[in-house]
Amino acid sequence: MTLVLVGAVALFMALPSGGAASRRLPLIFLAGASGALLTIFFGSNADSFKGAWLTLLALIGVWGAVRVVTHSRPVYSALFFILVIISVVGLLAVLDAEFLAAAVLIIYAGAILVTYSFVIMLAQRSEAAPYDVNAREPFLGVLAGFVVIAAISTRVFTGAPPAAPDVESAQLAVGSVQNLGVQLLTRQVVAVEIAGVLLLAAMVGAIAIARRPAPTPERDRLESEGAL
Amino acid sequence: MELIQNLLANQLFFSVIMMAVGLGVIAGVSAPFAILFERKLSGWIQDRIGPNRVGPWGVLQPVADGVKFLMKEDITPAHVDKPVFIMAPFISMIVALIGFAVIPWAGEIHFPWMDEGATVRTQVANLNVGVLYMLSVASLGVYGVVLGAWASNNKYAFYGGIRATAQMISYEVPLGLGVLVVILIGGTLELDKIVYAQAQSGVWNIFLHPVAFVLVLTAAFAETNRTPFDLAEAEQELVGGYHTEYSAMKFAAFFLAEYSHMATNSALVIVLFLGGWAPLPFLSFWSPEHTWWNVGWLAALIKFGCFFGKIAAFLVFYIVIRWTVPRFRFDQLMRLAWKGMVPLAIGALVLQVLMTALGFIIRPERGFAGNLPTVLFALAGNAVLIGLAMFVTARSTREVTGRQDNLPAVGNRNANAKLSGIIQ
Repeated sequence: MTLVLVGAVALFMALPSGGAASRRLPLIFLAGASGALLTIFFGSNADSFKGAWLTLLALIGVWGAVRVVTHSRPVYSALFFILVIISVVGLLAVLDAEFLAAAVLIIYAGAILVTYSFVIMLAQRSEAAPYDVNAREPFLGVLAGFVVIAAISTRVFTGAPPAAPDVESAQLAVGSVQNLGVQLLTRQVVAVEIAGVLLLAAMVGAIAIARRPAPTPERDRLESEGAL
Repeated sequence: MELIQNLLANQLFFSVIMMAVGLGVIAGVSAPFAILFERKLSGWIQDRIGPNRVGPWGVLQPVADGVKFLMKEDITPAHVDKPVFIMAPFISMIVALIGFAVIPWAGEIHFPWMDEGATVRTQVANLNVGVLYMLSVASLGVYGVVLGAWASNNKYAFYGGIRATAQMISYEVPLGLGVLVVILIGGTLELDKIVYAQAQSGVWNIFLHPVAFVLVLTAAFAETNRTPFDLAEAEQELVGGYHTEYSAMKFAAFFLAEYSHMATNSALVIVLFLGGWAPLPFLSFWSPEHTWWNVGWLAALIKFGCFFGKIAAFLVFYIVIRWTVPRFRFDQLMRLAWKGMVPLAIGALVLQVLMTALGFIIRPERGFAGNLPTVLFALAGNAVLIGLAMFVTARSTREVTGRQDNLPAVGNRNANAKLSGIIQ
């Protein structure tokens, strides 16, 4: 609990308008707090080799995530987001969820973030915009985020351990692409279909917005003059 | 001696050796010589001699180029974003090289001093999602270009980066769909199993899905940013495109990344459609038994030679295409991907799904003759697909390739009318 509190205060101070004279100190505190939390978490329920990898990757991920929200230049935020994705992919790979790892890498790093950085680079001006220098609602944002983290970690550390999954469903859950496909198209088929319809709707909407005829002042002027 | 034998028998150490040798061969030897060969071939195609000053037949030209790249002043312009500017070429390079980790070069090897039945794979990492790994690495390839373009803080470079992004995102879709067809043929995501199936049956996947092969090949061309897909570095329009501001070794890193990318993509296409290391189609070249051909080290060398020969042939093909097909215009590029390749790829996918559903499945142990009905069905399906595509193209209205009709007419119509009146 203390760790979460320290982390929350540190993140608040590290945010662009947090008022910390030096950003380094809160970041070190934050890294320490999250590192301790993760070490407790992963150290408790994994063999040491895997645990070391998980801790390392999680640390990189948390550091990247903090820099995403604290960096004052959007392009760097996007780059740190990519770092977060890559460390999450590493976590998944260590946990033998190779298909999920590859899928996250293709979808997030390969498609979504490319589009993101594309938009950011197009929209960015040479000097930093005011909304990049100052966080909008630093206090409320940090509060909400860390209340969620506190709730989750309390549940993880003190709540009843989740019911041990039987071997069969554990084998179904991870790894095998075939099992994943069978699960998706039998038990989760409604969710898959709804996701598909949602994406279709988004695509139709995007086309509807994009296909609006472009305003052409030149053409309007010519028409009003009767030239066309 | 014993130590070396033990090291070779251990998969981890064998992978490390493969990695060192592979990277050395690819980055240190093939890429520079591909560049030499590109210049030679370009020379022949344009009726020139090509480089012939350094060493006999110009073979030392890559060495001279490398020395020159190292000796040149490495300029970092004042207006660039320094960390990203320095990072970008090496991201390109790394992404182009890590794809090799899952390429199965030559099946398995059983060294005489190993335990009975034990083998090492000639593959750095045997991921069970090898195909997806290749796809995800390919999808990361755009970052080097985009970041370099953005960090250069230069209009031309930035335009190049924007074009590269749009192009790569668009061409990943047909690439993914085409690869999906191959995944459905074998029902596996592991590259070595895809090769085993093709080598055992003699039915290379190109005989089943020529349409998907052409689509994947085209998309692979687009991923490497080479002509006719080199809009990101169109010299006539964008100076040097995304690498305008780069000089010396950083530029060389971009350059080497392009050639490594060509080799990676060729290897992927060969594994997926052209039987990997299998020397010839129609014949069975693999079975699960431990014969000298399946696991011997001499056979592995021969297989590796076949694989490498195919890659070399592909590189030549890349170079010839460069001087054969002119660069697309941007709207043509987008139309080709979204209106041409994506529907065709979906068609090929539906065809393969139908084949699986109707029971036309490749059974590798039956050999080529045993799988003939499947092959004929697939080829007939592909013919239908091509016919359908031609029919749709013939029936659809002609694309507006000039000015778009929602833009104002060129010039002043009255003036044009007067002018034509005078002439008449």
